[in-house]
Amino acid sequence: MTDSSANLTTLPEEEEEKNSQEQIQTLPSAFSSIPIRPPIQTSQPKYAPLEWLGYFDKEEDVSIPGSNDVFHVYMAGSEGPVVFCLHGGGYSGLSFALTASKIKDKARVLAMDLRGHGKSSTDDDLDLSIETLSNDVLAVLKAMYGDSPPAIVLVGHSMGGSVAVHVAARRVVSKLAGLVVVDVVEGTAMASLIHMQKILSSRMHHFPTVEKAVEWSVKGGSLRNIESARLSVPSTLKYDDSKKCYTYRTRLEESEKYWRGWYEGLSDMFLSCPVPKLLLLAGTDRLDRSLTIGQMQGKFQMIVVPHTGHAIQEDSPDEFASLILNFISRNRIGPYGVEIPGLRRPQQ
Amino acid sequence: MSVDPVPSNSHGHLDEQISQLMQCKPLSEQEVRALCDKAKEILMEESNVQPVKSPVTICGDIHGQFHDLAELFRIGGKCPDTNYLFMGDYVDRGYYSVETVTLLVALKVRYPQRITILRGNHESRQITQVYGFYDECLRKYGNANVWKTFTDLFDYFPLTALVESEIFCLHGGLSPSIETLDNIRNFDRVQEVPHEGPMCDLLWSDPDDRCGWGISPRGAGYTFGQDISEQFNHTNNLKLIARAHQLVMEGFNWGHEQKVVTIFSAPNYCYRCGNMASILEVDDCRGHTFIQFEPAPRRGEPDVTRRTPDYFL
Repeated sequence: MTDSSANLTTLPEEEEEKNSQEQIQTLPSAFSSIPIRPPIQTSQPKYAPLEWLGYFDKEEDVSIPGSNDVFHVYMAGSEGPVVFCLHGGGYSGLSFALTASKIKDKARVLAMDLRGHGKSSTDDDLDLSIETLSNDVLAVLKAMYGDSPPAIVLVGHSMGGSVAVHVAARRVVSKLAGLVVVDVVEGTAMASLIHMQKILSSRMHHFPTVEKAVEWSVKGGSLRNIESARLSVPSTLKYDDSKKCYTYRTRLEESEKYWRGWYEGLSDMFLSCPVPKLLLLAGTDRLDRSLTIGQMQGKFQMIVVPHTGHAIQEDSPDEFASLILNFISRNRIGPYGVEIPGLRRPQQ
Repeated sequence: MSVDPVPSNSHGHLDEQISQLMQCKPLSEQEVRALCDKAKEILMEESNVQPVKSPVTICGDIHGQFHDLAELFRIGGKCPDTNYLFMGDYVDRGYYSVETVTLLVALKVRYPQRITILRGNHESRQITQVYGFYDECLRKYGNANVWKTFTDLFDYFPLTALVESEIFCLHGGLSPSIETLDNIRNFDRVQEVPHEGPMCDLLWSDPDDRCGWGISPRGAGYTFGQDISEQFNHTNNLKLIARAHQLVMEGFNWGHEQKVVTIFSAPNYCYRCGNMASILEVDDCRGHTFIQFEPAPRRGEPDVTRRTPDYFL
C-alpha cells in the first residue's frame, strides 16, 4: 500500500524527467545528455542494505587475551548445539544471517568475522595464512566457552571450509560433533588458483553507494538471493575517503601467497577428521581423487544442492538450514555432544 | 518345456541389438522402451530374495564404465556361457551408463535364467539426476524419455539374491529392521528407493570394524559390525554375505572374519581412483575364486570440463 502511494507522488516527477530527457536528446553534446537525477533516484530500495538484527539475535566483540585482536561475532538461538560458521574469503559472518534465522529455533548459530574481514580488527589484517586463521578460530572458541564448550558443529564455506577442516583436524576442540564443508574441493580449488587474480581483478572495485555494490553482487551473479545480498554485502565494504566511494574491506589480491596453504592437502585432512562429515556442493559433483575414493568408501555424506551459486547458505538459505538441521538430528548431536550412544547395541 | 517369455522369432532381433550394444552403440528410444517392457515382465516375477544356482560369477559396481564391463565379460566369459549375478550400480559417474545398463537389461531379457541384475542405490530417480545418468540420457537422446523408461524399470529390480541358499548377495548391507530373509521377501519393492527404512538400508549400509549398529557417515543406511553379520548369517543359515557399494582398492575385500565380502567391479573408478576390479566365481562345488582385472585399454575418454569455481567470490 505504501509502495503504491509512493508511486503516485513520484509520478509527476518521472514525467518531468521524461520531458526533460526528450529535450536533452536534441542537444548535440553527448555529455549533456546525462540527466540530472533527483537524489531519491540514486538509492534504490530494492538493493537497500538490511540490518542483521532480526536475523541474528545479538553481536559481540570477542577480545583475545594477550593480543590486540578483537573478533566480531553474531549469534542467534538459545538451545541445541552451536553451529559455528566460518565465511569464505571476502565475505563476512553476515553471509550466514539469512540461514541463521532459519536454524536458530532448533540450534544455536554463531558466525564470526574472520581476520581482515567484516568488523574484526587485528594487528595484522593481511595475515590470512591457514595457520593464523585456524588459531583465530580456536582463540575465539576458548575466549567464548573457556574449558566447558557446548557441542560444536563447524561449518565453513569456501576458504572458511578450509579453516574449519584445519581446526577440526587439530583435534583440540573437545566437543566437536560435526564438520560441514560448503562448496570447496581441493582438486578444483588448486586447479582454479591460476585464474583467481583474473577473477578478482575482473570484479567491480568501486561503488558510489552501498546499494550499487549490493546490486552488482546480484547482477554480477556472485549472489542470487537479493535479501541475503542486502544483509551481507554491506559488511564486505569500506568507505575510501580519498576516492569518495566504497571498495572492498578485504584485500584478497594481497593474500595470494596464502592461497595454496588454504587448499593443499585439504581432501585427505577432511577425510581424517574423526567426526561426522558433510560436504555440500553447488550444482555439480566435482570431487577429486581422494574425495571420490572417500565417498565411495562411505566415509562422509555429500549433497549436491541444485540451482544455487557458490554461496549456498546465501542463495538457498532454507534448504541450507534444513540440511544442517538434518545433519544434526541424523547424527544425534545434542547441546552437549552426541546423544543416544546406545545405538551400537545389536538388536535382539 | 521351459516357459520362455520371449517368442523365439524375436531372438534374432534381440541378438542383433546385443551385438550392437557390445560395440558400445546405444539402441533407439523406441527399442529401449520395447526392451524395458519385456524386462519388466521378467523382473516383476522375480523375488525380493531371488534364488540363484551355482556356478555363477558375482560382480559389483560398474558405474557406466562400459569398456571395463566388456573387459569383465572377456575375463569372466560371455553370457550365457557364464552365469552372472550383478549387485547393482550400473549407471552414473562413468561416461557410458546408457550403453551399460541397456546391455545388461538386454542380456536379462535374452537369457533370463542366466543373468540376475539386482538394484543398487544408484538405480534411483533421485541419485541419477545428480550423478550423471540423467544428463547422459539428455545428451544422447535429446530428451529424458529413456531416463524415465529406465528409472521406472529400476523399481522392479530385485533387491537381493541367494546363491544355493548360502551366499546372500545384495548391493549395500544389513538393516536393523530385518532379521530374516522372510522379512525381505514380504515387502513391496516396486517403488523409488526411500530415504530410510529397510529397503533403503539394504542398498546403502556398510560393514564396519566396530560391533553393533552405527549411524552411517553416508547419510543413509547404517553401519553393521561383525556381531550383526554373525547373527544374521546364523539366523538364516548363510555362509557368506556378498555385497558391493564400497570401493576397495584390490577389487575385493573380506570382512568380519570371512562372513562378509565386498566386491567392486569398476577398475580405476571414475577414471581417477587407481583401484583394481574383481569378480567372484562360485563354482559347482561352491568353491570361491576371485579374478582381479585392470582397466581396459582406453581410446580416449571424453574429458568432462567443469566450470572454474569462483572460490573467493
